[in-house]
Amino acid sequence: MTHPLAPRVAAYLATRMPAASDVSVEAMERISGGASRETYRFVARWREDGQPQKRRMILRRDPPASLIDTERRIEFEAYRAFAGSAVPVPEMLFLEEGDGPLDHPFFIAAEIAGFQASPQVLFAGAYDAVLPQLAMRKWTILGEIAKADPAALGLTGVMEVPALDACWTRELDYWEAVFDGDEAEPLPIARAAIRWLRAHPPPRAQKLAVVHGDYRTGNFLYDAAGEIHGVLDWEMAHLGDPLEDLAWGFNPVWQFGRGLAGGLLPQADAVAIWERASGLTVDPAALHWWTLFNCVKGQAIWVGSAAAFIKGGNREPIMIYPAWWLLNAQDRAILKVMGRL
Amino acid sequence: MTPEVPAVLAQLAQVAARNAAPGVPDAERASDLAITAMLLTLAAEVWDGAAARLVEENRALRALLGQAGGDDDLRLSALTAENHGLRAKLIEAHIAAEQSDDAARQDLIWAELLASTERRKLSVSLV
Repeated sequence: MTHPLAPRVAAYLATRMPAASDVSVEAMERISGGASRETYRFVARWREDGQPQKRRMILRRDPPASLIDTERRIEFEAYRAFAGSAVPVPEMLFLEEGDGPLDHPFFIAAEIAGFQASPQVLFAGAYDAVLPQLAMRKWTILGEIAKADPAALGLTGVMEVPALDACWTRELDYWEAVFDGDEAEPLPIARAAIRWLRAHPPPRAQKLAVVHGDYRTGNFLYDAAGEIHGVLDWEMAHLGDPLEDLAWGFNPVWQFGRGLAGGLLPQADAVAIWERASGLTVDPAALHWWTLFNCVKGQAIWVGSAAAFIKGGNREPIMIYPAWWLLNAQDRAILKVMGRL
Repeated sequence: MTPEVPAVLAQLAQVAARNAAPGVPDAERASDLAITAMLLTLAAEVWDGAAARLVEENRALRALLGQAGGDDDLRLSALTAENHGLRAKLIEAHIAAEQSDDAARQDLIWAELLASTERRKLSVSLV
């Protein structure tokens, strides 16, 4: 059965590939998850210079309403900035910011096929022997992201450039505003955490870094040897304090109940790997601030997910599950980081 | 839980009806059914204890805030509305305790906040 979007995607590709003829889209299917973007995989076929061509591709389309609101171009440019670097990313092919071709903005990328992303699969037992290798790769790659020069990557022209001593206020202001606009119930734990964060600001960032914004187990493609083949989900990418990115993975919900950073190894070991790869140092107090901040940010995302459902912008079940599953767990994570659990 | 369970169940009924129709791509039907199953499991888990949890928490919050009253209307929507009002006042009380450096009062509030997460803890909680 042909997916309803397939002929529209084929028509779009034909406009973007002037040397191609007989463009068609096959085997199109939506990939599970994707509460922030609708994600589809498909196979594009066409003829070029008389020869048949075939390529596996990914379509990432904005939903009617998302649990996070970000600009499509920023995500696209973040992926493109790291192409061919020590940070493995899928190749970006086409960016469409208009609503005309597929009703909402989207981009199309080359598919990195044949690998897993699921934490549940990773922790089911079959990968246990390679978890240390995977952990080494995970925090080494994050260190490479932190080490990169945003200006040299061309990202200072695309993303807002905060002052080094304003990275924390920019982020905290943004996510507190999400609570103000979206919370459907009083959240006394998150509000107390925000007050603590404002009363105990972190030191200025040691450098301006690219911050992936959602770098955690589950957002990269891995194989059975413990290698990482693609870092995904850059929709919250921005410029800021590199410790923010390191600390996002230390949000206790991303331990997946295993008592280890990212479900993979002790936090101190992860920090050591990251320091070696990035050439940066970790101030424990600053890391604590950013870890608590990331618990607050996580809660804002789950609140936004619930709001998208409640306000009617997106009634898909995927919007409900993060809120039901994680709102209380995130409160407990905040208590844990604050030393009250 | 937020969103409220009745609104979610109504939506899941629509999702089930949509997937009963022909022409839904297999992968999308499978995804919808899988997440529907997970949500129904969570709804089933909280159903029996929902009213008791809210009454217990509203009672604890009134005691902490020094408020009289009780829960006469035992519909979940009424209990939840009362709970939201009390938790909003708890935030105000917490701020006041911080501003007056009342450590003992703050400890009492943190103890209630911890208890509130225990009341809401799911069997699949990650923390």
